[in-house]
Amino acid sequence: MKVKLIRTGGFIPITKMAETEVTLSEQELASLMVIIKPDPAAPRIKDGNYYELTVGNSSTPVDLEKVPDEYKALFSKLKSELRITK
Amino acid sequence: MCKNKYNPIHCIIPPYMLTRLMESGNKKIADLAINSNFRSFRFRNDRIFFQQSSLHEKTILGLITKQTEKETMQMEVYDCKQKTDFISAALLWDSKTNQKITSIAGKNVIKGGKASWDFYWQLFGRNSIDNKGLLIKQYVHFDRGMDNAYWDGRRMVYGDGDGSVFTSFTSDIDVIGHELTHGVTENEANLDYENQAGALNESFSDVFGIMIKQRYNNQDVKKSNWLIGEKVMIGPKYALRSMKAPGTAYINHPELGDDPQPATMDKYQNLPDTQSGDFGGVHINSGIPNFAFYVAAFNMGGYAWEKAGRIWYSVLIDVSLAQNAKFADVKNLTIVHAEKIFGINNPEVSAVKQGWLEAKV
Repeated sequence: MKVKLIRTGGFIPITKMAETEVTLSEQELASLMVIIKPDPAAPRIKDGNYYELTVGNSSTPVDLEKVPDEYKALFSKLKSELRITK
Repeated sequence: MCKNKYNPIHCIIPPYMLTRLMESGNKKIADLAINSNFRSFRFRNDRIFFQQSSLHEKTILGLITKQTEKETMQMEVYDCKQKTDFISAALLWDSKTNQKITSIAGKNVIKGGKASWDFYWQLFGRNSIDNKGLLIKQYVHFDRGMDNAYWDGRRMVYGDGDGSVFTSFTSDIDVIGHELTHGVTENEANLDYENQAGALNESFSDVFGIMIKQRYNNQDVKKSNWLIGEKVMIGPKYALRSMKAPGTAYINHPELGDDPQPATMDKYQNLPDTQSGDFGGVHINSGIPNFAFYVAAFNMGGYAWEKAGRIWYSVLIDVSLAQNAKFADVKNLTIVHAEKIFGINNPEVSAVKQGWLEAKV
């Protein structure tokens, strides 16, 4: 299954995107998408970057600090492959 | 004894006598009495205003021109070594020991941090981000190739850039001043980070960021090119933002396309208040108040921080500036503060009005 990471925000707002194929089950991905959700009450970081993970038709905002250890390599790969989209 | 040799009515005379003189059949005496009564009214109100003014306001009004207290900047700089956690970051420099360092990013943020602290302290008597001497914490080399800088509510964080579109975000003093000013705003008006209030939040950071750079480089309004982040963005034709001509910082950039900032209110972009919508275009619509400031400062002439900067700072610390302020609110406040500082009908007031007029706010 394909997963897509989108980064927005920043000092100048640019959108970056990366996608990769994963061998995770639908259940694992659904669980991951719940775990990585940011705290909605968290204050907005001035000039901060924001991430969103898309799996199939569903998307969720991502708090990278909340990514479990077993998925860190996946997010690290996606982050390194982010490219500007116009 | 009255020392005014020209006008005996401009003396200390009891109010009942002044009232009688105002009703005098002699027009000249009545006119002078009315004038004197008006002056007394203004003096009384001025006295009440100055009695109630804070140290900050007195500094803004030029009543306190020199800081007598000895305050020093407190700053620490950390090296994140391209990782994303702050706990393992290594202390690179601190103001207590002032050790020599070789890191270019480290040197940049020390220079920019000092220039920012000096700016706020020497011009406005503001002691650091919170005006209580807060330790300024700056983190360099954050993450691998991060093309960004930000203020997270506690610290300023800088990435090294991706190396193709952006270089280190520590390269420009205005970017460092911009981030530090987010902390100042958070401690003052605490403008919401969305829609017009968010764009004002961004604009205040650009306004003070550019003045911090101009002051460091001894540039007046004519000498400055009013570009934010001209070194951060790779390529001689590009910068992150232009305050003089929003929307022209980069044109036809191979990766980024065109600078989306509008300069005038009729081009305001109604974007969704979401992450992908830049929370209603806070970094986009900030071009409008940025342009108003540029026009105002340019028309005043000289150094931007001497007149326009005083007005904008006094607005930023004004308790009546609401968290959800709109452009029109800041327009009105800058006019009120310009009148307060420089007097009604002075050129500075006209310059402020002209700035907002040209920005079509």
